[in-house]
Amino acid sequence: MPASEADPPAMIRLEELTKYYPGSDEPAVDAVTMDIPEGEIVVLVGPSGCGKTTTLKMINRIVEPTSGRISLEGEDVTDVDPDRLRRRIGYVIQQVGLFPHRTIAQNIATVPRLLGWDKERITERVDELLELVGMDPATYGPRYPKELSGGQRQRVGVARAMAADPPVMLMDEPFGAIDPITRDRLQNEFLRLQQEIEKTIVFVTHDIDEAIKMGDRIAIFGNDHRIQQYASPEMLLSNPINEFVDAFTGTGASLKRLNLTRVRDVALSDWPTAASDSPREELQRRLAETEHSFLLLLDRQQRPLRWISERDLARSDWTHHGGLKVRAVVEPHVTLHNALDEMLTSNVGVATVVDERGAYQGVVDIDTVMTAVNAMRAETRERVRVAPWHGVTASDVADATESRA
Amino acid sequence: MGAIEYAIDNWDRLLEFALQHIGFVLLSIVIATVIGVALGVLTYQRPTAAALVIAVSATILTIPSFALFGLGITFFGIGNLGPVIGLILYSQLPIVRNTITGLQEVDPAVVESARGMGMSRWQSLWRIELPLAWPVVLTGVRVATLIVTSIFAIAAYVGASGLGREIDRGLSNLGAAWAFDVVLTATVAIVLVALVLDVLYMLIGKLTIPRGVRS
Repeated sequence: MPASEADPPAMIRLEELTKYYPGSDEPAVDAVTMDIPEGEIVVLVGPSGCGKTTTLKMINRIVEPTSGRISLEGEDVTDVDPDRLRRRIGYVIQQVGLFPHRTIAQNIATVPRLLGWDKERITERVDELLELVGMDPATYGPRYPKELSGGQRQRVGVARAMAADPPVMLMDEPFGAIDPITRDRLQNEFLRLQQEIEKTIVFVTHDIDEAIKMGDRIAIFGNDHRIQQYASPEMLLSNPINEFVDAFTGTGASLKRLNLTRVRDVALSDWPTAASDSPREELQRRLAETEHSFLLLLDRQQRPLRWISERDLARSDWTHHGGLKVRAVVEPHVTLHNALDEMLTSNVGVATVVDERGAYQGVVDIDTVMTAVNAMRAETRERVRVAPWHGVTASDVADATESRA
Repeated sequence: MGAIEYAIDNWDRLLEFALQHIGFVLLSIVIATVIGVALGVLTYQRPTAAALVIAVSATILTIPSFALFGLGITFFGIGNLGPVIGLILYSQLPIVRNTITGLQEVDPAVVESARGMGMSRWQSLWRIELPLAWPVVLTGVRVATLIVTSIFAIAAYVGASGLGREIDRGLSNLGAAWAFDVVLTATVAIVLVALVLDVLYMLIGKLTIPRGVRS
């Protein structure tokens, strides 16, 4: 699928890429052709043995293709020196593969050292990266990999891959070996990070939910080792090109679509708030003015503190620490799916949205979610009428991606 | 307790023999380590070659040392050269086998990430794989050292230095009143030499095994 004009320029282009392993008549990857646009996350997904990982590993030539071409930034790299090529491409694998005999700082410094950076620049970069992935350089830099948790090791793996600021990152099931709660957090962190770094990322997973959550585009591989459909997540869910894709994307498509919308994309609802140091009478008056039964107290920095009700305010031992603790606090980058999940655990039935500094932005309630779902439905119906699924072109995919961004 | 009296009266002679013994053992081991690790590095990724090298070095270890040193005279004459070469040969099995095992046991994900970041085959081996295999290699070297410390005593009969001299002298004079004490003293001294060398390896291990891979 060559890029049409509407597409962003292709950072990576694969043409008829094919791999036969020695002693096998069946290709592991069969004539894969795809453009991977600059600054996007492209997810390769499919059942085990479908060729997704082999395709990924042919991009940095850990696996040498049998035939076909690979271009990076417009340059044919099929036959260049693989070691030099790999220093331009970040690589993260499921087992992370940190060097156990080297400290975290030394691990992250690997590629800069190979590239011959001077010491000061390396130290600076290592500190910067550790902070970027949310780890204190002074604490974690001198530690060894075995002294870290699985989630921390994965963060270091990502930092190490980004060390020399490569334009492209290849990630092979990077969150596959991590418990579900940590995985969810790492996925969110990574998406937030990607907004800053805007790398071109090729991401392999066998988990369609992860693919939908992470991908700007998704390529579904089938058991015939070919790409079945390469499209935006919306397109895959609403217009699967064949039965295989339909079955693979599975049931619960509506729920999955909640993973496509982020809190920052929807209009937040308002909730009555008050400064936590306001006198009791003023709080009571504020609460009486609204139809809500709780008032949200904010501190001086606008950070949510407590939910208070009329009953709390009526208590003779009233203090500003009364009421309920604010749970279910989310940031704008999380998906509606996450927000809904949090909402269900909240004691007030809403998820409270805060910005990076923790300041109150608004709330997500069930109406917000329903409105978003309806809007998505309408939008997809519209698109299908314009471009029936058997005629989906690359520019449709780009449109779909744009409308989501 | 004639042996103790003998040891006290002759401690300076015994010390000199012990130092010779240690010297030739360590010389052989250093050379054997270079050769053995090189053989391991060359073969660990080729199962047939690895099996062959291990089989050959195992066969060498079954050759009686008495016979090997005797045959060595034909090529190297009387003295230390033949025995040192013999010790190098005897050291190969533990060193080569542990090098191969150590390198094969390195987590494939670690090697893949090293290559995936653009380390050459050689850089990956030198900076990542060998340091990670080192504890296992070092154990092999330690075992080799124990083996050749005792074997070297035999070499005295072809003119080698070391504590074997004393054993040889005692055994040739069995029947003399002092002979048994001499043999016993030298034997105990060899055991002590082996213990000293073992302590040395513990120190080497402490100094050279990186903190991140110490158990």
